[in-house]
Amino acid sequence: MINFKFILESIPSLIGAIPITLLMAFSAAIIGWILGLGIALIRKNKVPVVSQICAVFVSFMRGVPIIILLYIAYYALPIAIYNYGVSIGREIDTSTVPAVIYAIIALVLDQAAYSSEIFRSALSAVDEGQMEACYSVGMTKSQALMRIILPQAMAIALPNLGGLFLGLVKGTSLAYYVGVYEITATANLLAMPALNFIEAYIMTTLIYEILSFIFNKCFRQVENRFKRFRATATA
Amino acid sequence: MGHTYDFKSIPGYIPKIMKAFPVTIEILLLSLLFSIIIGAIVTVGSLSKNKVCNAISKGYISFMRGIPTLVLIFLLYLGLPQVMNSIGVDMSGVSKVAYIVACLSLSTSANMAEMMRAAYLAVDKGQREAAFSVGMKGFTAFRRIIFPQAFGVAIPTLGNNIIMLFKETSLAFTVGVIDLLGKARAISSASYGTNRLEVYIATGIIFWIICFVLENLSKFIEKQYTRGRKKATS
Repeated sequence: MINFKFILESIPSLIGAIPITLLMAFSAAIIGWILGLGIALIRKNKVPVVSQICAVFVSFMRGVPIIILLYIAYYALPIAIYNYGVSIGREIDTSTVPAVIYAIIALVLDQAAYSSEIFRSALSAVDEGQMEACYSVGMTKSQALMRIILPQAMAIALPNLGGLFLGLVKGTSLAYYVGVYEITATANLLAMPALNFIEAYIMTTLIYEILSFIFNKCFRQVENRFKRFRATATA
Repeated sequence: MGHTYDFKSIPGYIPKIMKAFPVTIEILLLSLLFSIIIGAIVTVGSLSKNKVCNAISKGYISFMRGIPTLVLIFLLYLGLPQVMNSIGVDMSGVSKVAYIVACLSLSTSANMAEMMRAAYLAVDKGQREAAFSVGMKGFTAFRRIIFPQAFGVAIPTLGNNIIMLFKETSLAFTVGVIDLLGKARAISSASYGTNRLEVYIATGIIFWIICFVLENLSKFIEKQYTRGRKKATS
């Protein structure tokens, strides 16, 4: 039955794998969401050509499972880096680049696409009159965006971003397949020698549940803080 | 290191990978069916006034939303047979596809339950009262008045959930099912991995096209279905 000795012995290694999961999640979220906001602004303002390219990019990223994105990034990027190295006259040894970098890049692109859709709908949910009001008091477009539009759009986008982030934390488990030793991979590695699968995965499940519980709570807090930017229902 | 990539060969891989399409569709349809059934049961629980049912449903939904599908697959595929063995049940006869369908049904059922709950609550309360006032019984009122309106509300989310489920079927390769991605891996390992990038890109393109079709189909159905209907949100 359940091997409690194994559980006690493997807890430190599993907890030790949490930082790599969080590293992937946070870096992908921060970089990806900034890119996503950029894409949303480009598509909102209908910048010619760039806007169409962004639309195709978003559609592709949303249509392809994250596991395939990880594989493509894992196999394509070393070639790209190597070729870049050759073009500037240097031989770059791509085997020294840790796999986690490729995983982060794939997750960043995925997050950029999904968050851009969230930001786009949040931006269009902000009342048109707000922008006009900004112009009427003499603000420039960027001032209006930074001070008036974005805080309101953020308040609208936050619940969806929270859901997206929880999905991202779960998605990092797939980085196992490109050789990143995050929580799931560590559990598998620990379980292999004595086939303690059930114990290892029950603990993995617990860790993920605790993580998503904590992040859920955090996002609720932030949402409440942003509530003051929400337009009160004046019809 | 000197890998050269032959991007012209990508279209040639698409028909080869598509040979595994029936498996993916089988997994998709079965998981969709079961996730809707489980989701409906959970929705009934979460809408009921019974506190225990309510707590179980809410707990189930948040549990399923917190666990990565990959971990659920490992838990069921590698862990469950061990537990069953120790109490004397042999699970070696269960097919791999069945494990995948079970995992995907469970993980998607939480989204389905949330969708159904939201759609049900979006229908104006007065509709049910009006149905009662003309003498309909509980189930008839649900079938003829509430459900058609709630369904209209749910179509976009349902479409989204189906697309997400379709993308998650790609995890079937983790237990060795030859679905689209499993086939792609088989093709690339048959040539010792020399063409793996092209094969994965081809698989990505297949997924992209199918998702694109599904997305537009869902938009079309929504348009057709809600035409001439009052928006159910009050």
